Amino acid sequence: MVVDVRSDEVSAASTGRIGRGGEWRSRMIDRAPFLVACGMLVVLVAIYGSIREGVFTLDELNLDTAAAMTLLLAATGQTIVLLRGGIDLSIGGMISFGTVIAATQFGDSWLTASGWTVAILLIGAGVGAINGLLISTLRLQPFLVTLATWSILSGAALLVLPTDGGALPGPWMWFGNTSFVGLSTSVWLLILLFVFWLWFKDTRLGLTIRATGSNEKSAYLSGVSLTFINVATYGLSGLFAALASLYLTTQTGAGSPTIGKDYILPSVAAAVIGGISLFGGRGGLSGTIIGAFILTIIGNLVFVLSVSSYWQPIVSGVILLVAVLASSLAERSARRSLT
Amino acid sequence: MPFLTRNRAVLLAYLGMIVLLLLTSFFSPGFLAGAHLRTLSVLAAFIGIVALGQTFVIIGGGIDLSVPWVLNCAAILMTLFAKGADAPLIYAIPLVLAAGAMIGAVNGAGIALFGVPPIIMTLAVNVILQGCILVYTGGSPQATAPSIIQFLAVGRLGSVPVVAILWAILALGASFLLSKTVFGRQLYAVGTSATVAEFSGIPIVRTTVLAYTLSGFTAALAGMLLTGYTAQAYLGMGDPYLFTSIAAVAIGGASILGGSGHYIGTIAGAFVLTILTGLLPALNLSNGALLIVYGAVILITVSLASESFSDLAATIRGTWRPDPADKELVKDQTR
Repeated sequence: MVVDVRSDEVSAASTGRIGRGGEWRSRMIDRAPFLVACGMLVVLVAIYGSIREGVFTLDELNLDTAAAMTLLLAATGQTIVLLRGGIDLSIGGMISFGTVIAATQFGDSWLTASGWTVAILLIGAGVGAINGLLISTLRLQPFLVTLATWSILSGAALLVLPTDGGALPGPWMWFGNTSFVGLSTSVWLLILLFVFWLWFKDTRLGLTIRATGSNEKSAYLSGVSLTFINVATYGLSGLFAALASLYLTTQTGAGSPTIGKDYILPSVAAAVIGGISLFGGRGGLSGTIIGAFILTIIGNLVFVLSVSSYWQPIVSGVILLVAVLASSLAERSARRSLT
Repeated sequence: MPFLTRNRAVLLAYLGMIVLLLLTSFFSPGFLAGAHLRTLSVLAAFIGIVALGQTFVIIGGGIDLSVPWVLNCAAILMTLFAKGADAPLIYAIPLVLAAGAMIGAVNGAGIALFGVPPIIMTLAVNVILQGCILVYTGGSPQATAPSIIQFLAVGRLGSVPVVAILWAILALGASFLLSKTVFGRQLYAVGTSATVAEFSGIPIVRTTVLAYTLSGFTAALAGMLLTGYTAQAYLGMGDPYLFTSIAAVAIGGASILGGSGHYIGTIAGAFVLTILTGLLPALNLSNGALLIVYGAVILITVSLASESFSDLAATIRGTWRPDPADKELVKDQTR
């Protein structure tokens, strides 16, 4: 394993030591993984558009955003955790658990449905907060703690609903699939998510999460409560997993106790493809959005090319490797410009 | 007693294993009978063999998420080569084991040479392998396991299952590698701190690549043996082993940060997971309950093994302790 260069050392390159030209260069290097992801998305969309009619229409945007939204919501939580330098595998369990609760408890009255919606969101945030507490107070590894809570939540989901099934109220499905001023619910959610991020990343909490992920020691020495940061970070991740599960039910119309595991690793992949560093502190939600769309467009392309759908994991895997190599090379050249 | 404190996590794993065994025999009399223990050791052997490579990788500070589809690819390739006959195994077995080792080496090279985070590297390799084997087989592999493989997986020598003997030999080899060889010591050093190891002149790239190579090798071996147990290879047969291999290592007392743990602990971890699988049907509990218990057992064993467990009270009183997420920070504190 190579010696990590933490992002604080890299950004030191952009503030001191080197001149103005160097500053521009190091900023480009810092953004390189994100730019590579943008490039890959443009290429993929261009290929997709050249083999299929009507790709550059509002309908297609609505469809693709709807297809990407569950992954994107899950990946938003994952992004926050990755920025803090952790990882959250429990979102898989939370997504399964959320869908089965929704499918079994919503009933026909809007009162029970909205009550359980709030309950699911609270469960998500609560389980996440417990993850954060366990990680901080017992000094456990995020990977293991969230692996355990993933297993527990999946088990709970299986106890509630042993097989796929259940039903969701009609108005709930309508709400998830309707459109307003030509844009579907999913596109409005995307806009909302982006606005949320623009606000969140510069709030005190958002800054502290990124600072802690960048260098935990300095953050602690600057008076950050690591317990609070962990509870907040994993709590937010659980909350977004719950949101993802709610959105997913509007798409599938049923609950599934096993569907969540399909989102764990793709959520990490979407973030990493978008240039979020697994070492914490570097990247933003715009990268994750690009990453989630790249993964979705690959699925579309495989479908349109009418090759075997088994090609999808191969292409996704290769794109993931290309993206992570780009960010690793960027980090190296950043280190080189330091010396 | 330095022996007790040094090996606290491993001893806890064995204690848990014995308690579980007694508990199970209490709930379902006859569990400790020879036939049951045989089945137990066979099922534990599959987890134990996959977890062998995983133990080395985790001690070296990494993680191998490519285990499920390396295992699955090995199983499918072996049955396709052999077509149910024993003769082609002469080349099929070495070929498949070499392929598994090579995939591991690719993992290790990507991680050690290019600085790709282990989670991402092995995850990408896992999905690529999954896609490749699906495209190759068209989604429905049709081949049965040759009789020699079936003998290795379910046969017996005297009253001892062959696969358990095989596992014991591998366990001895792994323990020797970890405790008595230069490679073993270097692996612990790399897992403790890659930076310090590099400055001490330890060949980091070679050590890391070797650990992942071993993991690919054992996953491939387990895949071939597993086809003998299930009589044929099928898609998705490796999926449970991602969770169980990591869980066995964690229950066995290795720190996921690297630098500590031993395969002897992982053996107990493999038994704990297998006994639990047997205990719950005896209690009339469903698969969902099993997953909940799995999660709880991981949390409990990992918490008990955690150094901070004894001074948890201090934490509750508000004394701050550093977060484990930052490797160097924790290493500084514990040194």
